[in-house]
Amino acid sequence: MWFFYRPDAASALEDPGVLKALPRYVDIVKNRKLAKFKIARMIGIEEIPTENLKELWEIHKKAMDEYQRLERLLDYGKIKPSELPNFSLLHLKSAIADKLLESCILCEHRCKKDRSRGNLGYCKVGKEMFVSSYFDHVGEEPEIVPSFTVCGRVDRPN
Amino acid sequence: MIDDARRRGCRNQNWVGGDPIPHIPFWLRVLLYEKENMPVFFNTNGYYTIEAAELLRGVVDIYKIDFKYGNDECAKKISDAPRYMEVITRNLKLAKQYGELLIRVLVLPNHLDCCLAKILEFIAKELSPDTRVNLMDQYTPHWRARELPEINRRLTALEWKRALEMVREFNLTNVIT
Repeated sequence: MWFFYRPDAASALEDPGVLKALPRYVDIVKNRKLAKFKIARMIGIEEIPTENLKELWEIHKKAMDEYQRLERLLDYGKIKPSELPNFSLLHLKSAIADKLLESCILCEHRCKKDRSRGNLGYCKVGKEMFVSSYFDHVGEEPEIVPSFTVCGRVDRPN
Repeated sequence: MIDDARRRGCRNQNWVGGDPIPHIPFWLRVLLYEKENMPVFFNTNGYYTIEAAELLRGVVDIYKIDFKYGNDECAKKISDAPRYMEVITRNLKLAKQYGELLIRVLVLPNHLDCCLAKILEFIAKELSPDTRVNLMDQYTPHWRARELPEINRRLTALEWKRALEMVREFNLTNVIT
C-alpha cells in the first residue's frame, strides 16, 4: 500500500520536473514505450563465431547502430515490436560481460582480477552475485517509487 | 520475481549494491529471462569504465548517478577513487546521451566550497540547468568516517542553508530537496 506512505508518489508522473527530465521513463511506466532492454532483446545477431573480445566489440558496435535506429522507429510508433530472435544484442552484451569478468575492468579501479574463476576483485565480488535483500522500495524519489530494489553484496569470505 | 513486481505495480527495477557495477554481468543474464516491460533504474556511484558504459547503453533507462566530489583530492582521500572528476564527468555526459539522468548530491560537511560548488557548476554549465537533481542533507557519519574528522559529523543548519543558496546561484531549476 505504497500510496499511504508516499502520497506524493501517486501524482509524480504528472510532475513538470519529472516530465522534463524523464519523459521516456514515464512513457515506459505507462506502457506507451518499451524499456531499452526489451528493444535490445529484439535485435538479432547472425552468429557469434568468435571468443575474441575485440571482434565481439565490433559486432556490438554494429548492433548498437541498429539499436538506435530501432528505438527511434518504435518510439515514434513507425513499426510494431518484432518477434524475438534466438540470439540478440542483449545476449551479446551478456556474453561480452562474462568475458570481461576474466580480467575485470567494469569499474575504474580496473583491477583485472579473473573473477570468472571466483577470485574477488577490488570490489570483493567474485563470479556470482549474492543478493543481500530485495523489496518494494518506497524511499526513493517520488517518480521512482514503488521501486523493486535488488541489492547485491560482496562475497562471503571463505 | 521481478516480473511479478511489475505486475503488482512497481514502476521499475532498481539495481543497487553496494554498487551495481560489479554485478552487471549477472544483471544482464537476469534480463534475458524477464518478460515484463519494466524500466531499468541503475543506482550507481558513477565510477564505471567506458566499456561498462557501452554494455549499459541500450539497457539502462534511468542512470541515477551519485555526484559527491568536486575535485580529485577529496575523492581520493575519502573514497579512494583516483581520476574521479574525469570519470564522473564523462559518465554523466554519456548517461545524458544514452538514457535519462537523475543526479543525487549528498552534501558533505566541510565540503561545500571544494565540492558542492564545483558539482553544481558542472551540472549547470556542462549538462543543463534543468537536470533533475536530488540534493540531500541526510549525511550521517558511519563506518570509517571517524578516521576523517572533517566528515565525522552531520551537516549543520547553516551549511544546508548555504547549499540551498548555491542551488539558486547556479540557477538550477529541477532540484528536489
